Amino acid sequence: MLSLVRRQYQVRYRQSMVGLAWAIIPPIATLATAMLVFGNIAGLDKGKNSYSLITMAALVPWTFFASSLTAGIPSIVSNSTTLTRIPFPRAALPLGTIGISMIDISISMILFTVMAYTIGDGLPLTAMWFPVLFILELVLVIGVVLLGSAINVFARDVKLAVPLGTQLWMFLTPVLYPLSTVESPGVRTFMLANPMTGVVESFRDILIHGTAPDAQLLMPAMIGALGLLLLGSWYFSSVETRFADVV
Amino acid sequence: MNIVEANNVTKNYRVGVGRARIREMVPPPFDRGLAKVLNKWWYKDTFNALEDISLSFPAGSSVGLIGHNGAGKTTMLKVLAGVTAPTTGSIKVNGRVAALIDALVGFHPELTGRENIFFLGSMHGFGRRDMRARVEQIADFAQIDEMLDTPVKRFSAGMSARLGFATMATLDPEILLVDEILAVGDANFQQRCIQWLDSYREDGGTLLFVSHNLGLVRNMTKHVVWLDHGKVVQEGLTSKVLGDYARAMERRDSDGPANKNRWAAKKLMKSTGMNRWGAGGVRIQEVHLSEPNERHGLTVSIRYEASNVERGLFCLGFIDEAGNEIGAAVSQPLVLKQGGGAMQCSIETLGFHSGIYFPVAAILSPDGVVHDRWRLDRAVVIERDYDAVPDGFGAVEIASRWSKDASPDASELPRLGTAE
Repeated sequence: MLSLVRRQYQVRYRQSMVGLAWAIIPPIATLATAMLVFGNIAGLDKGKNSYSLITMAALVPWTFFASSLTAGIPSIVSNSTTLTRIPFPRAALPLGTIGISMIDISISMILFTVMAYTIGDGLPLTAMWFPVLFILELVLVIGVVLLGSAINVFARDVKLAVPLGTQLWMFLTPVLYPLSTVESPGVRTFMLANPMTGVVESFRDILIHGTAPDAQLLMPAMIGALGLLLLGSWYFSSVETRFADVV
Repeated sequence: MNIVEANNVTKNYRVGVGRARIREMVPPPFDRGLAKVLNKWWYKDTFNALEDISLSFPAGSSVGLIGHNGAGKTTMLKVLAGVTAPTTGSIKVNGRVAALIDALVGFHPELTGRENIFFLGSMHGFGRRDMRARVEQIADFAQIDEMLDTPVKRFSAGMSARLGFATMATLDPEILLVDEILAVGDANFQQRCIQWLDSYREDGGTLLFVSHNLGLVRNMTKHVVWLDHGKVVQEGLTSKVLGDYARAMERRDSDGPANKNRWAAKKLMKSTGMNRWGAGGVRIQEVHLSEPNERHGLTVSIRYEASNVERGLFCLGFIDEAGNEIGAAVSQPLVLKQGGGAMQCSIETLGFHSGIYFPVAAILSPDGVVHDRWRLDRAVVIERDYDAVPDGFGAVEIASRWSKDASPDASELPRLGTAE
């Protein structure tokens, strides 16, 4: 398992010029673009905390979510040579990519901390909730990736849909804007049902507002995470013996 | 106790791409339900690569798997290696397995040779420290020292095959599954692989060996399983099964001009480039070859056409499945008939092991000029109940007569080996 993770890490930035820098570039680029577009034009930068901080707090869980999906869902197919020649627990592949994506969340968390102390008031004490929220998000991610990577073996449509899917999902999650700016009650209810909404908003709560996570807000996330984990691991384990024949 | 056991193994594959795969998405137990309801659609485009196969081997045995392309040999290895699960039936393997199913053995093309060695080692339960000690040994065996830190994707086919074999060889497997991998390396490397496999077997290792090279199968294994269309045709002692297999192959070969199964002969010709060449002073017009009789003897008749060449040697040689030139029947230098003529030869017995041999007819000048050397598109099958020569004494039996009576002049022969 560990060596599979190591290998995927080794392969990830192979033949790229800047290597590990690609772990920092996406959150910074997203943040910069968001600041440019929303922060200035949409006039959101009025609140107690600066827009960049609010967005960065959401990007901490989001980049982890997005990179886990992008790398995790094709992981079975992209390792077909190993899969068809060496027997090992197949789940090690998607779980391994999630493991590597933890680099992303560490980096964006460091980035946020630096920003919090330079432009904001530093980290509130509630940041101690971080591990709890992270585990909740991790469970959700594992569920989605196990399910997605297994289906992707049979229908490559999943992999092709991942970039579009994560993009749409990002717009439906209050990442580039706080939930409070959503006014239509219908859209709000819909967004609240999205498991990632609770996760992202709770990260904002604990990292900026200094409040503990709201159980009601997190309810869809908890149900979704548990449900997807059960569904994902059941489906994965019941079809994993077929992977080598299909990839 | 058997180290490898397969019980009623059936492996069903689907053919086709794209939407055919939808059926495989359905997880158990729903797949069985759907199979019942939509029976026809469910089983469309499927075939059994293995059908109800039961095999078992004790530890330390070396077993050959033979059969035509598509017989299920590789699938069998994959199932035993645990890479793919049988559709029905069960597999029991009691030991550390190393599988060389193809030259890639699971290497990642982007990683260097060294990284891949560590990776493969760790997948077989060897830590980095264990492997560090072995890297030199592996690079040495594979002869790729200077390429060790280059991505495997830049390796030639031969190099990755060598690296694959060398890595697997150092992982101390208890059961080794080898699929035709020796066909890739050069002769030198093949020789070292065979030597290594010999010592591996002597140390009690279990070997399962797939090859189209029947000569190699004969040397490496004591027991052979002959598969055809996913079923076991015959299983037993190597010499016996190979003999029957060779005969069946010969029968398929002579199924008329349209048959595709002359692959063995064709492949051999291809591998050596030419099947006919020579100076052309004398040309072979026609060769008639009888079937070998029960004493493994045969008769041959060569018709020739000559111009300006007075004397010639007639020759009928034999090449085995591996392409080794085994031996030849050679005439004295004979006066050739101007214009042309025919020569007959009867071979009392071909002292070869059971196997398939390819005859070569030739006419040479006494000074060694080859006028016409023709590898015939034909196979001679020798079938024996036991090997012609015991293990360790070579491939050809020397025609000889033995008697109990001491010859009166035996004492005059130089004395060589007297037991103390």
